[in-house]
Amino acid sequence: MSDDSKAEGVPGGPETETPPHIASDFYLWLWFASEVGRGQLELPDQAPFSWWVDDRLSFRPVGEDKVHAVLTGDNPSTTPEARAALAGGKVLRDVRLAMRRDDREYSVTLRGSNVSISGAKLPALVKTGDPAEILYERMFLYEELHWMVGTMFRKFAEERASDGWAAFADRMRDWAAGRGI
Amino acid sequence: MGALKGGLSARRYQVMGDLPANFQDDAIAKLNQNAFRDALTAVHKEERLGWVQVHNLLDTEFDDINVWLYQQFATFSMRVDKKVIPATLFRAMLQKRQQIWCKANNRERVPFTVKAELKEALELELLEKTLPRVTIVDVVWNTTEGWVLFNSHSAAQSDRFRKLFHRTFGYILQPFTPLDFVADLPEVAARLLSSGSTDLRSVSEGEHHETGADT
Repeated sequence: MSDDSKAEGVPGGPETETPPHIASDFYLWLWFASEVGRGQLELPDQAPFSWWVDDRLSFRPVGEDKVHAVLTGDNPSTTPEARAALAGGKVLRDVRLAMRRDDREYSVTLRGSNVSISGAKLPALVKTGDPAEILYERMFLYEELHWMVGTMFRKFAEERASDGWAAFADRMRDWAAGRGI
Repeated sequence: MGALKGGLSARRYQVMGDLPANFQDDAIAKLNQNAFRDALTAVHKEERLGWVQVHNLLDTEFDDINVWLYQQFATFSMRVDKKVIPATLFRAMLQKRQQIWCKANNRERVPFTVKAELKEALELELLEKTLPRVTIVDVVWNTTEGWVLFNSHSAAQSDRFRKLFHRTFGYILQPFTPLDFVADLPEVAARLLSSGSTDLRSVSEGEHHETGADT
């Protein structure tokens, strides 16, 4: 143990942020897919899981990291204000999701450009007792959460990189403007 | 955190490198060597950091693997201590000391050298009385799959952690990014990187629907 030297560089270099438009589009896709679609992914040989926007959405203007609007409370994603923010040109910075797989329900904020897992509430089954059992369970649940986020991201990424994204964006634009889709 | 209870707000890293065959003995020695140690004097004001057991921040011995290694999961905490004197209180007390000195020496002003001495004496006096601000961040290391969770999103804490981890074990920690989810789809990743934010403002026919780079 020693005093830390701030002048010393971080091995591996400074942490780099992923370009923020990727996370913002991912959060938008998650929201749209849960509101308009089923918000569910079914995978071969895997138990399906579902998600929906929970109790918080935060928005930023394009080109800035600072949050300009936050909507909280019950079902903020269904409010006219939320869609008006999108129709007004703002993009998502953070989204709080609820997710369910089998009988396990999670709540997590996906935050910022690196899609960081923040404030995750895991469906703890073992709450007291052997630390080893608690750790195994929490890591199993964390891994499942990480896997679900990764699975959603891959699905989004394939759609975002496809030629069909422009038509998909038109549908989202109509939805944001309150027009029927 | 997080490792054993409470919410999880974790940054994930990939550990770059393979573990030695004698990982357990090696890790015991390295954790002990880089464990948190209290400052030798009560007036130490520099930041101090090191590893402690996840169960209690006062436990700094890692000889017993049963308290920190659970199958493939190694878990410990980074402890950071720093003594901080309240600046407003310090300024007020220094002003009083200067007034007392002027009165005792029948002078209007405190000479620069005396002011420096008063300042140093007061700083030592207050440091001795001040408890450190203690920060604890839990770490879980999956030694089989080679990833680490650090339960903080603070950039400063992450930098401290990556440096301490490297100093302790010799491994570089590579931060996880969402593009790692599509590492096996390089064309998809490239198209994501070259796209812009999807703009949902209503636009006239013929106008662009996508903004430029969002930096």
